[in-house]
Amino acid sequence: MREQKTVDVDIKRRRMLVAATGVMGAIGATFLATPFVASWEPSERAKALGAPVDVDISKLEDGQLLTVNWRGKPVWVLKRTPEMLATLDKVESELRDPDSNESIQPPYCKNNYRAIKPEMFVAVGVCTHLGCAPLFKPDPGDADLGSDWPGGFFCPCHGSRFDLAGRVFKAVPAPTNLEIPPHHYRSATLIRVGEDPKEGGQA
Amino acid sequence: MVKKFFAITVGLLLPLFAVAGGGHSGVELHKANNDLRDQASLRRGAIAFSDYCMACHTLKYIRYNRIARDLSWTDEEVVAKMAKGLSKPVDPVMARGDLKAIHQVLGTTPPDLSLVARLKGSDYIYSFLLGYFEKDPKKGVWDNHYLPGTAMPNVLEDKYRFAKVDEREALARDLTNFLEYVGEPIKVKRWDLGWKVLLFLFIFFIITYLLKKEYWRDVK
Amino acid sequence: MSDVNKPMPERGDTPDFAKPGSLLHWLDKRLPLVETWNEHVGQYYAPKNFNFWYFFGSLALLVLVNQFVTGIWLTMSYKPSAAEAFNSIEYIMRDVDWGWLIRYMHSTGASAFFIVVYLHMFRGLLYGSYKQPRELVWIIGMLIFLVLMGEAFMGYLLPWGQMSYWGAQVIISLFGAIPFVGPDLAVWIRGDYVISDATLNRFFALHVIALPLVLLILVFLHIVALHRVGSNNPDGVDIKKVKGPDGTPLDGIPFHPYYSVKDSVGAVAFAFLFALVIFYFPEGGGFFLEPPNFEPANPLKTPEHIAPVWYFTPFYAILRAIPDKFLGVMAMGGAIGVLFLLPWLDRCPVRSIRYRGLSFKILLTVFTVSFIALGYLGTQPATPTLTRLAQLFTLGYFSFFILLPFTSAREKCKPVPTRVTYHG
Repeated sequence: MREQKTVDVDIKRRRMLVAATGVMGAIGATFLATPFVASWEPSERAKALGAPVDVDISKLEDGQLLTVNWRGKPVWVLKRTPEMLATLDKVESELRDPDSNESIQPPYCKNNYRAIKPEMFVAVGVCTHLGCAPLFKPDPGDADLGSDWPGGFFCPCHGSRFDLAGRVFKAVPAPTNLEIPPHHYRSATLIRVGEDPKEGGQA
Repeated sequence: MVKKFFAITVGLLLPLFAVAGGGHSGVELHKANNDLRDQASLRRGAIAFSDYCMACHTLKYIRYNRIARDLSWTDEEVVAKMAKGLSKPVDPVMARGDLKAIHQVLGTTPPDLSLVARLKGSDYIYSFLLGYFEKDPKKGVWDNHYLPGTAMPNVLEDKYRFAKVDEREALARDLTNFLEYVGEPIKVKRWDLGWKVLLFLFIFFIITYLLKKEYWRDVK
Repeated sequence: MSDVNKPMPERGDTPDFAKPGSLLHWLDKRLPLVETWNEHVGQYYAPKNFNFWYFFGSLALLVLVNQFVTGIWLTMSYKPSAAEAFNSIEYIMRDVDWGWLIRYMHSTGASAFFIVVYLHMFRGLLYGSYKQPRELVWIIGMLIFLVLMGEAFMGYLLPWGQMSYWGAQVIISLFGAIPFVGPDLAVWIRGDYVISDATLNRFFALHVIALPLVLLILVFLHIVALHRVGSNNPDGVDIKKVKGPDGTPLDGIPFHPYYSVKDSVGAVAFAFLFALVIFYFPEGGGFFLEPPNFEPANPLKTPEHIAPVWYFTPFYAILRAIPDKFLGVMAMGGAIGVLFLLPWLDRCPVRSIRYRGLSFKILLTVFTVSFIALGYLGTQPATPTLTRLAQLFTLGYFSFFILLPFTSAREKCKPVPTRVTYHG
């Protein structure tokens, strides 16, 4: 608006009131927007369907991989043999993120085995590159993967390679190690996937 | 003159409402006087629902873990108290009986009660639960004042026979309270949020009103 | 009334933020932004004597926005199928975060829309806003009302409760009353022999996209047509007749900032009442959300008492008052249709009720009383006494339109002032 021709306009008061209204309006709009934004979060039904799943590992044999469905994603439970565990130290220099600093895992799995118990490996079987499902290739020197293959996971989509702790090798498209879901042991033979242990640390 | 116009309009309409509004029909309902903020009552109601109603009735629109959260139980407690540990916390509340078999016995399928409080009102539920009377004491046949000929047996029969009136009424009130909660689980939170929103809007109103006054000083 | 005191920009002024080099300047070269703003807001001169009744136009716009936003959000979780519709509403009410609030905002918004629109239309009757030169504004407004009724009717089927189902059943059956084609027409509308999944699905499509689009276009035209001829006011005085030296009406003030701040007050006050209903009376005493609708649709069991939602009850009462199906439907349609003709039925040159003769005041009173009474009777069961009353008020409703051409031609009006009355 142009210069006021009026004599008795209190510009200061006017500006203050405009500012106050603007601030209140902005606060109100933010509050009002909150429900609309929040309504996009997973609903109670989605959460119910994504509830933790219990995996019975009593019948799992050495070197065997079990796949279970958690929140619509494959979750692997692998019982690693001592030979398998031995490969993990050897490949460390070839890994992109050997200490899992940039990868997703619960704090209680941020170790060399990326597991609570070294022999039991639990991971989300989704490649961190573009979401394909990697293949389980446990045999060292696999015919398709070359004689230096130590055993691990191989993503057929774009050739990403992971060791038997789901750690990604250098020079492949996948940026980070495979995700480890929250999980804990309800008993020696029962793993609950999707829920942290009650006291934070070991289960 | 618009005010006069309205005075006349209202004056002309009042007799109509008086004439038409007079004819109330049906049996008078008792006031349930239940309190959704009374968590102890809600918890008693939930357990009573499990004991007296869940043989036949479902609450398919509510899950155990929702009840647990709203009634201050843990997930383990709610399934232990309401489902004898047989359901998962994320399961909806289903009937324990086989509804097909129940249909054969009663000739009708017991309705889901998730929304009964919104459909019929809390006072109706309360009155209905207390509205049974013995039609034929010799055969033990019961009927209900509020739904004559109902297929629903008097599940509170022992409370009718052996309990004091107070106890029976308290039980019916707890059940009503629980069913009103199930009808709209968010209700108490809605009330608690409402006044804050209204307070905000009231302050906002004062500020915009002052702004309007300020600008309209120009208009002469 | 010293007009030199008015702080207002002159026509063709360029605001600071539109000076060369600014983003707005760049945009304005390519889109008529400043021009449109000035024509419709910044330099749209509205009479300065708007009273309470003039809030409802902007409030209707506010409710429209509310319905659009909440409606879009509801479609994100709603399932338009007979098997899932009812469940999906409860899913929204219970499982979706804040779904209950969004749903209540939409259901309360539907009733609020009609409250606001009925008051807005009544304002038009009070101050003769339908008269020359605003006939087209009135007609477009009536079209908006018509589309709004369709929108509300179809939206009410979507929750797939008992009232949704049987309400739609009754209304669609009305089309069956049309001679020869009626029964086939009803089947065609339903896409089935009863209200079914097919009906629900097409009503959903119409409710969420087709009619809102039409509504949006009509609202746009309503405002453009209004701004072409200028707003009426409680005195019914043409403010363009008395202009100041700068060529602007002496009794007019720019919409912005004067009416934008005033309408903001109205909007916040409205929001307060709206929130009051949403948080404490979302069922609106059984009028906004009817209890039988908390039971899923059951094609084999009619509820004891079917009443349409309150905003349809005046017309529904007229339908029931006529003891003949075809004539009843015609009367109901006529009750809405005759409103379109109002600009030509009223032959009095004076606009505002403030200066009109006694005959108009009596007729408008009869009309208003009849309308409200019919609205009330439409919610009640049709007993013989109440049906008689409904017939009486139907007569009252139509007598307004039938007598108006005669009384208004020879009405004794008071002299209309040349300037508006305003006590600042």
